[in-house]
Amino acid sequence: MMDVVCLGLNHRSAPVAVREMVSVPERKLGEATEGLCRIEGVEEGVVLSTCNRTEYYAAGRDAAVAREGLRGFMIEHGGESLGEEHLYEMESGEAIRHLCRVVSGLDSMVLGETEVFGQVKRAYRAALEAGHTSTTLNKVFQKAFGIGKKVRSATGIQEGQTSVGSVAVDLAEKIFGHLRESPVMVLGAGEMSRSTARSLLSRGAHSIFVANRSYSRAEVLARELSGKAVRYDEWQRVLTEVDVVISSTSAPHAVVRRPDVEAVRGKRRYRPLFFIDIAVPRDIDPEVGEIEEVYLYDIDALEKIAGRGRERRAEQIRVCERIITEELAKAGLLGE
Amino acid sequence: MVEWLLAGATGLAVLAGVTGLQAVRHGRRSRWTLVLMALAFFCQLWVLGIRGAERGRCPLADGGEVLVFLSWSLVLFYLVVGPAYRLSLLGLFTAPVVAVFQGLVLGLGMFEADPERVVEVDGWAEAHAAFSVLAYGAFALAAVAALMFLVLNRKLKQHHPRGPLFRNLPPARSLLDSMARLTLLGVLILTAGVAMGFLMQQRGGSSGHIVMAMVTWLAYVVLLVVYRVRGVTPRRLSLAVVGLFAVSLLVFAFV
Repeated sequence: MMDVVCLGLNHRSAPVAVREMVSVPERKLGEATEGLCRIEGVEEGVVLSTCNRTEYYAAGRDAAVAREGLRGFMIEHGGESLGEEHLYEMESGEAIRHLCRVVSGLDSMVLGETEVFGQVKRAYRAALEAGHTSTTLNKVFQKAFGIGKKVRSATGIQEGQTSVGSVAVDLAEKIFGHLRESPVMVLGAGEMSRSTARSLLSRGAHSIFVANRSYSRAEVLARELSGKAVRYDEWQRVLTEVDVVISSTSAPHAVVRRPDVEAVRGKRRYRPLFFIDIAVPRDIDPEVGEIEEVYLYDIDALEKIAGRGRERRAEQIRVCERIITEELAKAGLLGE
Repeated sequence: MVEWLLAGATGLAVLAGVTGLQAVRHGRRSRWTLVLMALAFFCQLWVLGIRGAERGRCPLADGGEVLVFLSWSLVLFYLVVGPAYRLSLLGLFTAPVVAVFQGLVLGLGMFEADPERVVEVDGWAEAHAAFSVLAYGAFALAAVAALMFLVLNRKLKQHHPRGPLFRNLPPARSLLDSMARLTLLGVLILTAGVAMGFLMQQRGGSSGHIVMAMVTWLAYVVLLVVYRVRGVTPRRLSLAVVGLFAVSLLVFAFV
């Protein structure tokens, strides 16, 4: 088997302004691979290009020669903005392990994302159809796809949320299902409210009310979220209409108290109500959470869940790395 | 033959529950629960067919037949509602109920050994019995959805939103909607069943269980009216649906 070399840049090593200089549209992957295989020392090649990375995979008799050729090819396409510091290069077992990590989503911006699997498959297919892969890269890529599938089916790498905002959105979906039918009220127009409301919007919520002591700030945030600003003294009236309340005011005391919610229960016909309290000091009196149909999560509760998610992810990463090592060892692709 | 078929149906329900549980433990959906429950459904249908042929009437003349009919209608509603509303885990919660009902029939030998063949069939009585038990199937599935809601609600209230069970449970609102719809469906079918019971009585039949059926019917109607008009907290609605189903089973003691 020939030496395998990987040379590339990704979201960690290069800014988007550099990445876009060397990116290759999917329809031109075959053409790019052809250029790659004209390089001295490169006998097989695959060009992978996504929004987060552009990587060249090559197989040749002399890794050093191939590597030099690939570097020149990349710099030629990247122009002046591309520097040595943006590039990384790997050889043999390290390069194959890297490919497996990419296919498994371990090297992605969103850990465990699945889209990259399809992107690598399409890049490989383009090279295969152009006749630029043979024994070495066929074996390496097929093995990487097998390992990628195993990593996803045998681990929970994609499961669980690791940020307060995404935990809150997951909980909202667990209570209400699709959020398009769940109106949301934002109390306080701070940054935390904004980002949590944005997370809800990204998952389908579209009816958003914003209440803030300063009405003009409420209007600004409401405009940004395509929602509706309401006067601060009207939030209790709006409470009868909404399913989710995100609260992050800078008030030094509880803003929402048990009697406020008790007063609207009948009008709400006892529908479930989800309070996301991300303010410190807390905006929602803990007694509100004792009301039967109310689910109250403050910043500590959300952070605790997110922390568990992060621990779980870290543990799953270790499991994934172990699977990759074991599978590569079995296939004799681990290198030295 | 009937016992073997029923044992088969019970085994399939147990297997459906076990595969469902294993799938949950591995954090995925079970592909086999629905298939196994569908197979159990056909075995139940076969059992009821044989008993019906032996009696020459709707097979609802002894406790065993009633429980098998009830299990069959429960599975029927599960097969209709589960996939339609994408209520994952409904099979996992339904399978044990079916297994317990049928296990009781087998364990206690609730089938009459020599089912008496009727000479004359009272159409209203047959329809009354079939509609009523079918309604209890809908109530049973509503109770299953209610149990699922109570599990989910507890985890959400206590800030323990983790574990494979939590991940696989449907959203609370879907469970509440299904619970309310199944209860409404059950009430509509039971209304027809009770009405037929009155017609049966006019023909000279007399049944004490009609009173119990009326009480059950009235309790469900009141629950639905209160839920629709005034509103009820989801937890109380769930407890009421489970409690009413448990109490309503007493009607079979009067059959």
